[in-house]
Amino acid sequence: MAADPALKMTRKEFVSDQDVRWCPGCGDYSILANVQRVMPELGVPRENVVFVSGIGCSSRFPYYMNTYGFHTIHGRAPAFATGIKASRPELSVWIVTGDGDGLSIGGNHLLHTIRRNINTQILLFNNQIYGLTKGQYSPTSKVGIKTKSTPQGSIDHPVDPIAFAIGCGATFIARTIDVDAKHMQNILKRAHEHKGTAFVEILQNCPVFNDGIWEDVQDRKSRAKASLVLEHGQPLVYGPAENRQGIVFKDGIPSVIDLAEDDDPIERGVVVHDEHPEASSYAGVLATLQRPDFPLPVGVFRAVEKPTYEAMLQDQVDSATAERGVGDLSALLHSGDTWRI
Amino acid sequence: MSRDLMEGSEAIARAAIDADCRFFSGYPMTPFTELLENFAKSLPARGGVCINAESEIEAIGMAWGAAATGARAATGSTGQGLALMQESLSEISRAEVPLVIFNMARGQGDYYQATRGGGHGDYRLLVLAPTDVEEAVYLTQLAFHLADHWRHPVLVYGDYLLAHTRQAVEITPTDFGERPDKSWAVDGSLGGTGRSRNVNSIGMQKGTKGIDPEAFWDRLQKKTERIEAAEVRFEEENCEDAEIVIVAFGTLARFARYVVRELRAEGVRVGLFRPISLWPFPSEALDRATSNARRVAVLEQNAGQMIDDVRLSILGRVPIVSIGGISTDAAGFGIGPLLDAEVIRARVENVFQEGAS
Ligand code: SF4
Repeated sequence: MAADPALKMTRKEFVSDQDVRWCPGCGDYSILANVQRVMPELGVPRENVVFVSGIGCSSRFPYYMNTYGFHTIHGRAPAFATGIKASRPELSVWIVTGDGDGLSIGGNHLLHTIRRNINTQILLFNNQIYGLTKGQYSPTSKVGIKTKSTPQGSIDHPVDPIAFAIGCGATFIARTIDVDAKHMQNILKRAHEHKGTAFVEILQNCPVFNDGIWEDVQDRKSRAKASLVLEHGQPLVYGPAENRQGIVFKDGIPSVIDLAEDDDPIERGVVVHDEHPEASSYAGVLATLQRPDFPLPVGVFRAVEKPTYEAMLQDQVDSATAERGVGDLSALLHSGDTWRI
Repeated sequence: MSRDLMEGSEAIARAAIDADCRFFSGYPMTPFTELLENFAKSLPARGGVCINAESEIEAIGMAWGAAATGARAATGSTGQGLALMQESLSEISRAEVPLVIFNMARGQGDYYQATRGGGHGDYRLLVLAPTDVEEAVYLTQLAFHLADHWRHPVLVYGDYLLAHTRQAVEITPTDFGERPDKSWAVDGSLGGTGRSRNVNSIGMQKGTKGIDPEAFWDRLQKKTERIEAAEVRFEEENCEDAEIVIVAFGTLARFARYVVRELRAEGVRVGLFRPISLWPFPSEALDRATSNARRVAVLEQNAGQMIDDVRLSILGRVPIVSIGGISTDAAGFGIGPLLDAEVIRARVENVFQEGAS
C-alpha cells in the first residue's frame, strides 16, 4: 500500500474498543502501544491495514488494533496472509505471532511465506515460553528449562528466530526489544518500508511464566554491555564509553576485543556493519552472537532487495491475459487438451 | 455453443473459472492433481491466481484468506488431504467465509468425512455429489453460488473417474441471479471511514464487547436449519412402482442407472434414488420414493456409511440391505470391480431372489 503522507491520523484512531486482556506487566502492552504509535506515521488508511494472527497470547493483537483483523488458526497466519496478499496486494498485511505459534506448529508456514518474499511484516514476539497455555517450553526455550511439561528440564536445542529467518532467505531481518520504544518504532517503520517479507523478532518478557529472560538487554544500565546496536556503516562496537568492546572476525569466526578510549575501532579491525550483502553469510555470523560470550545484536541484520511474490504473480497474470485476452472465454475453451465433436 | 470432449478435471476448473473463481490453492495428490494443474493453467489468463501450496493445511489457509477478501476462492484434495483441512473447514464454517472445496476422492470412503462435519464442533458442510462430468459442471457453479448465498463452505464430492473420464460437455455459465453483497469482506473498500472488521470464528466483532458463544452458535445453528430446509437435491427414476429401490450417489449411481434401465426394459420393477446433496440428505424424498418398495438396496463403495442416512430416512419401515462394499484397485484409487454394470446387476437380482424366498 502506497503511503499517503498527507493523511493525518492519530494513535487513538488505531486503538480499538476492546478491553486489552494480557497479564499485568506483560511485554505485549508496550509492543501494542508502539505499533499503535507508529501506524499513523505510515500514512496507510486503517481500512487498508490487516493484522493476521494465529493462536497464543500475542495472537490477541488484531482485536486491539482498529484495523482489519484475522484471528485464525494456530500457526497458520502466514498462509492466510499469503491468500490475502495474492487477492488484495494493495493491503498492508501484518502477521503477529509468537515463538510457539510461529516456530512450533507454524514453522512450516513461516518458512514458505518468508522464502516467497511476500510483502508482509512478520512480528514474532519471543518470550521463550507458552504463555496462553500457562507455561510450557517453546522451541526457543533454553536447554534445561524446567516447565510443567518438562519437569526434568528441556533436552531440546532451541531454534534462534533470526537464524531461522536467514535460513529461509528473508530479505529483511531485524530484532528489537519490547521496552525500547524508540528503537522498536524505528524498526517497525523500516519493516513497513521494506518491499518483501520483513521479519522482526521482538524480545518480549512474560512476567508470569518466564520472567527476566531478557532482563540484561532490557535494563537501561546493563543494556550497553549486553546488547550490540546494529547500525549500517558503523563498526560493531558496544559497551559503556569507558569500557568499549568490538567484534572482529578471524577466518569468519567472531571474537571480542577490548578498545582503549582513543582507539579507532575500524583501524583495530572491528567489523563495519553492512545490511546489504547479497550473501547471507555475514548476517548468519551475526545471528550466532549470543550472550554470555557476546552481546546480543539488536537492529537490522539484513535488508536486501528481491522481487516480491505478488509483483511476480501480477507479472504472470499480465502476461497470461495479454497472450490470451481477458475474458476471451471462447479462446480459453477451445485451447489445449480439448476436441470439438 | 458446441460440446467439447474433456476430462472432468478440466471441465470442473473451467466451470469454476466461469463462475468467477479467481483463487485456487492445492497440493498434489492423486486423483486430485489434475484439477490443481488445470486451475494453474487457466486461472492467470482470466486474471486469477493459482498457488501450489506446501501442504493441504497451507492450501486451505491461503484459500480462506483469499475468500475473506471477497474473491470467489476454492481449494481441494482427496479425502486424505481433506483430513488435514478439517480444522480450517470447521473454523471457516464458524467464520462464515464462503469457500468451495473439491474432494476428488479415492472411492466413496469419505462419505462420513464429507457429511458429518469432519472437524470439531457443530457444523456441516453443504455437499454436492455429481454423477458425471456434465453434472459436475453445473454443480461446481452452483457450489460458488451457494457458498456466497449462505456464507458457508460447500464441498463438491467427486472421485477418480469423475476427474479422469472424458465426456462431451458444454460449459455454459449458469445465471443464479444477483450476487449477494459482500460488505463483510476484508477488501480495503471502506474509503477512509475508519470502520474495521474482524474475521474470526468466535463471533467477536469490533464495536461489541467480548463474546457470547452460545448466542453465536445458536444463530449458526438456525442458519444450518434453513440450509437443511432449502438445499435438498436428488434424482429419482422408476421409483413409484418399484419393488426394489437402489440408493446410490456419485459415479456409482451412473452404473446403477444403467442397470435399472436394463432391468426395466426386461420388465423388472426396480428404481433408483440418487441423492445429489449428501448434506442435506434428501430424507423425506427417499421416504416417499420407497413407499411401495419391498426392499431398499444401498449401493455405495465403502464399508457402509450412507446406509446410516438411509436408515434414518426410512426408520425401519422397509428392510434395508447393502449391495455395495469396499472395492478398489491395487493402488487404492477406488477403481474397483464394483464399478461394473454386470456385477451390480447380479447383486440387484440377488436382492430380488432373497426378497422372494
Ligand atoms: S502469559 Fe505471559 S505472554 Fe501471556 S499475557 Fe501473560 S504475561 Fe503476557
